[in-house]
Amino acid sequence: MKIGILGTAHIHADAYAGCLMTIPGIGILGVADDRPARGAAFAQTFGIRHFESCEALLDAQPDGVIITSENSKHRILAEKAAVRGVHILCEKPLATTPDDARAMVEAARRAGSVLMTAFPMRFSVPVRMVRDQLEAGKLGSPFCFNASNQGMLPPGDRPWFTDPLLSGGGAVADHLVHLADILRWYLGREAIEVYAKSNRIFHADKVAVETGGMVVISFENGVFASIDCSWSRPENWPSWGGLSFDMITDRGAVRVDAFKQNLTLYSTGDGVRDVGPSHGGRSAGLKWLYWGSDANRAMIEEFVLAIREGRPPAVTGDDGLRAVEIMDAAYRSIRKGQPVTVRSSGFNAAQSC
Amino acid sequence: MNVGIIGTGFMGSTHAAAWKKAGAEISGFLAETEEEASSLSKLYGVPVLSDMDRLVEKSDVIDICSPTHLHHRMVLRAAVPGKSIICEKPLARTVEQGEEMLRVCRERGVQLFAAHVVRYFPEYALAKARVAAGDIGKVGTAQYRRLSYRPKKPVGNWFLDEEKSGGILLDLMIHDFDIARWIAGDVVSVYAKKVSAGFPGSSGDYGSVILTHASGALSHVAGAWAYPPPVFRTGFEISGSGGMMKHDSEEASPIEVLLTQTRGEVPDVGLPSSPLSESPYDLEIADFCSCLRDGNEPRVTAQDGLAALRIAGAALESVTSGAAVMIDGGGL
Repeated sequence: MKIGILGTAHIHADAYAGCLMTIPGIGILGVADDRPARGAAFAQTFGIRHFESCEALLDAQPDGVIITSENSKHRILAEKAAVRGVHILCEKPLATTPDDARAMVEAARRAGSVLMTAFPMRFSVPVRMVRDQLEAGKLGSPFCFNASNQGMLPPGDRPWFTDPLLSGGGAVADHLVHLADILRWYLGREAIEVYAKSNRIFHADKVAVETGGMVVISFENGVFASIDCSWSRPENWPSWGGLSFDMITDRGAVRVDAFKQNLTLYSTGDGVRDVGPSHGGRSAGLKWLYWGSDANRAMIEEFVLAIREGRPPAVTGDDGLRAVEIMDAAYRSIRKGQPVTVRSSGFNAAQSC
Repeated sequence: MNVGIIGTGFMGSTHAAAWKKAGAEISGFLAETEEEASSLSKLYGVPVLSDMDRLVEKSDVIDICSPTHLHHRMVLRAAVPGKSIICEKPLARTVEQGEEMLRVCRERGVQLFAAHVVRYFPEYALAKARVAAGDIGKVGTAQYRRLSYRPKKPVGNWFLDEEKSGGILLDLMIHDFDIARWIAGDVVSVYAKKVSAGFPGSSGDYGSVILTHASGALSHVAGAWAYPPPVFRTGFEISGSGGMMKHDSEEASPIEVLLTQTRGEVPDVGLPSSPLSESPYDLEIADFCSCLRDGNEPRVTAQDGLAALRIAGAALESVTSGAAVMIDGGGL
């Protein structure tokens, strides 16, 4: 099976390419980027073929593509792939507006293509394990969550992350959707109301978008969740950031820290420079070297299996759309200063494979 | 200095010991029933009184450790003859009561102290000092948590009666409302959610509150009575433009006991218990005592207590209305 990579703007393109290379039976067809120089550099790094355009890559008939362009370009790339019947794994957020996300879901449905949203946390072993136990009734009924998905300011060599026209916003657009998706998945319910506040105190001198965000999502069944989705981790934080939550049930509480499986390293030298993008912060000294299971790899394996088996993936385009609708509500609430209703598209998961 | 103590539960007895250490005399205890206070009365060799006016007569200072809904009435009664007053947190059950208490005390020239003891816990005091020193730059976001089990008093469990205690938002979470304001400044809007997870139909055992500060900083405060005994965990994470600091009571526990034994007695109310040479309660009373003797400004003032009460009042209102509630500067 041949997979193409459309767009290399997102840092995750590197991680996904690395995963693809280690999955048996999968080949990377090549890479295309609307900035050919960037695409060529990526191709050289990974020793893969470079295509001058998205069309050229699609003409080479990949079975599937992974879209890791700037967020606002997801739609056009997905539509081009879908119309050729190519299956799609698209980086989160699925799009920068609910309209774009809805168009992508519709395009994939019309073409019969798999559209999967890249929510790797669904494949995090600790996150899955707690969800399985919850399903099995071992943890009681959840009533509320206190959650965080904090990171550093995205790297300066990827300035589009802080250009709202390309990214959809700042920290809220970047980080809210992971937990929004986990919560929908855990609860099997949709969000109905969102309250959100943001500010620009971290890195105020560097970027024009919000860098701090706090959100409360309320679900159909009355469950609520607070989410800190800020770019608040300092440059010398021992890792890139993290995702964690407390789940409060009628039997007590469960704490999940998805990236806690780390080796703690104190280095006085430069020996930690080459530990790879998934490890450590950007400065020497104290580092957390992650040794837990690779959720990205499990996610890509699921994409490949869904294509092979001709079935909807475990995380659909509709899941991506729902998360974008929650993100959209968060930005509307930020403008209003009050909670707002989530505008739901009315799709359901069964329609959207 | 003669101190009359009202209320003989955990706080009354803790304060009594702290007053003795600070060199004050206990003039007596006021309790609902004589039995409740008999052991304290014997320990300090002072009478148990059932009439507040008699206690006030015998005292220079009145220390009010009674249930929250009684604070207003008792503070006003002690203020009339001009006694100095220590009032346990929350200052009052409602913002209006708190405002009246401060107004009356000011008019009568009475010193009123709000016993927000968390400001005397060294981890919080150090965090405040280092934020003030600029270690993490300007505060952008902060999270505070105070996670414990449902208070289980054998009789008269006023904690769980929202009319008396204000429930989890007022009784428990006011600690971190005060700390959040201490760290990042005045609060201008409050959005709050509350739920009963473990005890359906009760007034709530988990609260989640987002505070917006005048500086633009955002604080999230989580409070729980939904954890199983004997959990009592506190923590915070304060992020700024130039760094961050965090604390977790579990991670900061210097002693871990892993013996084969049955679980010991669980106290009625979850309490922090880091091993320290000086208890925060002793530091608090010593600070108030020194302010009374020398006229210094305490670490936490009655105005701070009222400001924390305003945040809690806004949180209660937000839970009812479902909207974010604005706080204006207030009249003080």
